[in-house]
Amino acid sequence: MAQPFKILVVDDEPDLEPLMLQRMRRHIRAGEYDFVFAHNGIEALERLQQEDDIDMVISDINMPQMDGLTLLEQIPKVDPNIRSVIISAYGDMKNIRTAMNRGAFDFVTKPLDFDDLRITIERTVSHLVEWRDALSSRDKLVVLQNELDVASKMQQSILPTLFPAGPDYRYFASMEPARNVGGDFYDTLRLDEGRIGLAIADVSGKGVPAALFMMSSRTQLKGAAIGNHYPGAVLREVNQLLCQDNDTMMFVTLVYVVYDPASGEITFANGGHNQPLIRHTDGSSTLLPLTGGIALGVAPDIDYDQETVTLAPGEALVLYTDGVTEAMNSADEEFGLERLCEVLTATSSDDPREVNQAIFDGVRAFAGGTPQSDDITCLTLCRSRGS
Amino acid sequence: MNVESRREGENLVLITDGRVDGTNATDFQDAMKQAIQASDTAVVLDFENLTYISSAGLRVVLLVAKDLQRQGAKFAACSLSSTVKEVFVISGFDKIIPVHDTQEAAIGSFG
Repeated sequence: MAQPFKILVVDDEPDLEPLMLQRMRRHIRAGEYDFVFAHNGIEALERLQQEDDIDMVISDINMPQMDGLTLLEQIPKVDPNIRSVIISAYGDMKNIRTAMNRGAFDFVTKPLDFDDLRITIERTVSHLVEWRDALSSRDKLVVLQNELDVASKMQQSILPTLFPAGPDYRYFASMEPARNVGGDFYDTLRLDEGRIGLAIADVSGKGVPAALFMMSSRTQLKGAAIGNHYPGAVLREVNQLLCQDNDTMMFVTLVYVVYDPASGEITFANGGHNQPLIRHTDGSSTLLPLTGGIALGVAPDIDYDQETVTLAPGEALVLYTDGVTEAMNSADEEFGLERLCEVLTATSSDDPREVNQAIFDGVRAFAGGTPQSDDITCLTLCRSRGS
Repeated sequence: MNVESRREGENLVLITDGRVDGTNATDFQDAMKQAIQASDTAVVLDFENLTYISSAGLRVVLLVAKDLQRQGAKFAACSLSSTVKEVFVISGFDKIIPVHDTQEAAIGSFG
């Protein structure tokens, strides 16, 4: 059973103690309330300091040494979670108002009506129970939020930040995480014969489940991509692994690209992700075709087709997540593919870092003050003009 | 977001309107679960008034499809707006969940 609710009664009249104990005896016997007594404000404060389990104070106003109104001011300094009820003379509105303004929870009047006092105590108890629940929920929330922040930092720390350039190509990737832990990631891999592997992905949903699934997707992808030049086969393998025991139906959309600098060829397979763009030298952009793949983790035993296109000198390949195209402005409009293409037309840079920056700037300018609800991720590969 | 359920003969038609995203995907899931009975044999998800669905919402559609498959029920989606259809096509989910232009066509596909 819960501890009895401990009430400190402060009054300089010695008669009150036996009277209170007598009138409240059933509650005391039932273990609901426990009464302790003090005879003035100073004594009350001493008790509060000695006993940290007092929940409530019922205090008279007029007392020697320290009166009830002064005591009211001192109680929160000892413990802000103690609730006080003041006993005042009937009709003494001035003191009642002062007491309420000093933080009293309620008041009762003299001569004491014990039925009314009982109701007042019950009301105070139920308020305190709710108050403590709220405090404990808040504490739990703070702990959770801190854990989420750590998860978010861990997620970002595994993303590559070094992008070694080749003789005639450069690539760069960056992510602007949303406030919640999101599920975007990208990866870059050095494959044999000078090839590089580039991946961008978006896990369904947000928060801890998405973060866990993202970590697992990334590991499976890395494992499958090493020593395999066929993006279709890589996606098949990753999908197969993610489908095992995936009762929660989490999924990840993913584009995996293998770039061969020797030929400029891009071989790619798309597992349900936004179609990458190629920016041509005249500033126009085209979407890479969908390769008919399904988001990974959902349907086992399916094949993923791949396609090959050539990235001409001066062209750029832009991989992105829907955090870019679905960024909202205050009028509830989406940034959209068209605006993304306009940004690419406007920036003729063949530095992938600058192309990425132009996209992020474009999205930010469009969104204005509208909070970002999803991770924004871009990976850009530029083939040099002179090659 | 709101899910309205109607029975058309043997078929249960679930009409979802508004937006389904990360903030209400759980409500969407609860509404679907509540509407579908274990005895249902044919379910149409009518998305005519669904304006937006995020990946969190798609996950719920997949869960519903999986449950229906488990209970041996036929199911299809219909009347997708162009934005929602695009999401289905890009994610490849139109290959997992049969998509029809109209409710009649969806019901007709059950044979």
